[in-house]
Amino acid sequence: MQKVLTVCPYCGCGCGLYLHVENGRITGVSPSRSHPVNTGSLCVKGWNSYEFVQHPERLRYPMIREKGILRRATWQEALQKVAEGINRVKAAYGAHSIGVLSSAKCTNEENYLMMKFARGVIGTNNVDHCARLCHSSTVGGLARAFGSGAMTNSISEIKEARVLFVIGSNTMEQHPMIAMHMLDAVRKGTTLVVADPRQTQIARLAHLHLRHRCGTDVALLLGIMNVIVTEGLVDKEFVRRRTENFDAFESLLDKYPPSVAESITGVRAADIRKAARIYASEKRSMLFYSMGITQHITGTDNVRACADLVMLTGHIGLPMTGLNPLRGQNNVQGACDMGALPEFYSGYQPVKDPKARRKFQRAWRRKLPERPGLTLMEMMDGGVRAMYIMGENPAISDPDATHVRDALKKLDFLVVQDIFQTETTEYADVILPAASFAEKDGTFTNTERRVQLLRKAVDPPGEAKADWQIICELSELMGYPMHYRGSYEIMEEIALLTPSYGGILHHRLEEGFGIQWPCPNSNHPGTPYLHRKKFARGLGSFITVDYIPPAELPDEKYPFLLTTGRIYFHYHTGTMTRRTSVIEREEPLCFVEINREDAKRLGIRDSFPVRVKSRRGEIEVSARITDRVPEGTVFIPFHFREAVCNILTNPALDPIAKIPEFKVCAVALEAV
Amino acid sequence: MAGEWILDKNHLSYWLRQMRNEMELIAPLREREDIVFKSVEKIHEIVLDCPASIPSPKEFLTPQFEPMLKKTDKIIDLRDNSKRVVFGVRSCDISALRLLDRFYLNGFKDPYYEARRKNTLFISIVCNVPDNTCFCIGLGTGPFLKEGFDIQLYDLGDRYFVQCGSKEARKWCSRYSFLMRRPGKADFEDQYEVELSSQAMFRKRISLEYAQQMISEDKLSDGFWQGVTERCFECGGCVYVCPLCTCYTVFDRAYDNETERIRVWDTCFFKGFTRLAGNILPAEQRILRTKRWFYHKLLYYPETLGGFGCVGCGRCTITCPGRIDMATVVLKMKDEQK
Repeated sequence: MQKVLTVCPYCGCGCGLYLHVENGRITGVSPSRSHPVNTGSLCVKGWNSYEFVQHPERLRYPMIREKGILRRATWQEALQKVAEGINRVKAAYGAHSIGVLSSAKCTNEENYLMMKFARGVIGTNNVDHCARLCHSSTVGGLARAFGSGAMTNSISEIKEARVLFVIGSNTMEQHPMIAMHMLDAVRKGTTLVVADPRQTQIARLAHLHLRHRCGTDVALLLGIMNVIVTEGLVDKEFVRRRTENFDAFESLLDKYPPSVAESITGVRAADIRKAARIYASEKRSMLFYSMGITQHITGTDNVRACADLVMLTGHIGLPMTGLNPLRGQNNVQGACDMGALPEFYSGYQPVKDPKARRKFQRAWRRKLPERPGLTLMEMMDGGVRAMYIMGENPAISDPDATHVRDALKKLDFLVVQDIFQTETTEYADVILPAASFAEKDGTFTNTERRVQLLRKAVDPPGEAKADWQIICELSELMGYPMHYRGSYEIMEEIALLTPSYGGILHHRLEEGFGIQWPCPNSNHPGTPYLHRKKFARGLGSFITVDYIPPAELPDEKYPFLLTTGRIYFHYHTGTMTRRTSVIEREEPLCFVEINREDAKRLGIRDSFPVRVKSRRGEIEVSARITDRVPEGTVFIPFHFREAVCNILTNPALDPIAKIPEFKVCAVALEAV
Repeated sequence: MAGEWILDKNHLSYWLRQMRNEMELIAPLREREDIVFKSVEKIHEIVLDCPASIPSPKEFLTPQFEPMLKKTDKIIDLRDNSKRVVFGVRSCDISALRLLDRFYLNGFKDPYYEARRKNTLFISIVCNVPDNTCFCIGLGTGPFLKEGFDIQLYDLGDRYFVQCGSKEARKWCSRYSFLMRRPGKADFEDQYEVELSSQAMFRKRISLEYAQQMISEDKLSDGFWQGVTERCFECGGCVYVCPLCTCYTVFDRAYDNETERIRVWDTCFFKGFTRLAGNILPAEQRILRTKRWFYHKLLYYPETLGGFGCVGCGRCTITCPGRIDMATVVLKMKDEQK
């Protein structure tokens, strides 16, 4: 029996685990005891992360659609067809009519190659990935406030913090190993404050639970900041020395005394005051947020309000002191770092910056497009005529799914590269079989910026290949050979062109458990916490934000507020977890959480079917009657292809980050 | 006892190499800062003063993912009959085998367990580096054993005191007796010294009898169990790592031309574990599932298998993200009187 140390493929915690291999088969998983994130523990998805890898439904060979029917093809045929498809659309409509979706499930090396392929080979900046749907508001919001949009601290610091303020994160279910550190801190006397409209498990364990209305985060945070200012809890010295634009920001706060914040958010003014005092009174305060903050039309504002709060109190730039967006996918941090974004090259070097562009042009020996590309949502809105999608399933994951499917249907050419057939491959002209996390080498970057080595445990099934190999072969066929003998050679190129990854090379990752960027050179040990002594952009910038209500609120016809998200047992569109026996058995059905009182009023019974309708469509799910959601609010997870809750969601976008408002839309319910 | 030998430490690797010629040799090896049990290529790399492995050696008897049979045009038995020697396991894990054997082999025999059990030789070592989570000492399941082992080694500094507890063990010692000698008086004194000193290294004592009494006399309120449950992550980790937990589920996988029947580790902490037709969930409330695990280990195990369902290996203490493992919960009971 062999045991291969690698990284969990699920959430952004980036837990270290061993895959047990016997005779070419994975026979189990165990956690690493010395790993700084999971220290001998795993969540249920981690413990069962091996099973989907060798599932019989894995894609084993390339497929081509001919006259509407998929048939098996050779790699040569399939890649030829992809090259022709892309070239045909490019010749007819230009490179900008092609869109590329990279993947937060793939390695850094693969994301880097994908954006190189889009920019250098196709010649478009239309490259994006699902970070658009989760933390694009963080990337944009924090870049302007601090100059860097990532978790400022390390997970292992959490247990030494004195105050933990968690807003819009169901941490125990979605980042269980981070919640483990939080609960350890609480056991040692740390105060935990949770702001969440739902009574999640972590909210029940909190000293103070602020149960604000969905979409009123800005008002809540402004209310808290108002108290901090009026009660003299501002760290004036920090504000003076390290930040700018404070005066303009401060004047706005007068509009949001706790009484006003209470009327908007529904949180008692006394609790707002209490939260402000708790948060401001300890230097070792860590603020955490996740999708509850980012997935709103005011996502960027929400993030900025969080940034304002930490600057106001000077809670940043030290260990155990900072602002921590929790990233949802194993490598969504890395995919962003690698520049799988329409406006950035790797390391957030803007494509608009001529100096950056020249650097990449010289290294890649290609003329690169100047104009920033289209975002994921804009591509789905008719912006492109052909798409190359790697490891994503927008037919389920994107808002207003019916519209997305129409968009995919209308494409002149679609190639999907994945490990299973998905709802998205139904529209593909060519399907390319890819290797899973257990079948290739590379690196993942977890939410605390820790770049870790992923190691191959078994061979890919059938003819499947690692994504980076597929991209290389396709690129060669399209006249731009990429000569990489292994993913470590791609990493070398990344290090060369990306200042924050400058010293991150595979051989350095073979010792210990990864390196946290920024790591500018090969002697640098990595950076456990950011913004020490000064912000990445120099001075931290206060940004004035004002409360704007969600785009679609309940009314007479659609009287309930629907909020969506993940559940503990499943992961995103269920491609992997729904093929894992034990966890699929735990939650085989989609459900809607309904408050007890609402259910009584509507005559809905527990586990009976309910029809949920919005302006965009309707689905049927089973009722789960609970006190977790407040009256007037319902919750549906987005994992289930049988009941795609994104048929209901509103594609209204944050104007800056272009992130859709997954967390609020109006629906009507009826018992079936 | 027949079969007590002294093995010079310099001869250990030769002895293990001879075993490896006939069996897969599995032993603790260093991987970064971890120690894991896996197949050994270089015998000198074996690490013996190591912390508890995760999961327990039950992974070699009932692996997490175990193909049982395959159906093509006929049915093919996939029972694993390969021979293994697992070197360097701890006494607590060996004492767990006694109850596992009763569970899997008394009355109805589990052929998959039986095949692997028969073909696996365990070489355990008297514990001289307990973790601070270990508490076998109060339970009589370690740090050394009087019976129930295959081969038990005492580290006497420059040599091992070797005890054989099974026929297979005696075979491996007598066949290689030229590597060994019979123990003398000084060796027995040193062996006893190791027994004394290893006992002195434990810091944690947990009384499972006390916990059993608290439960059977109904002294714990629902509030107590609710407090424990609130901290449960439902990861299943405690069950997966426990040398005495046996929950599993069976499912079939259909390929193009064949179907495979597989069993995988499951846990009683999941509501679906006991789901009935019509989506009836006998233990839908989480508190019931928390209680079930502790009651099973502390009440039902002694009733049905004659011993606690816990050997004090401390693995659940290491792995439980909510810190509601056996030792912590039993210690908490002390603060609780109904």
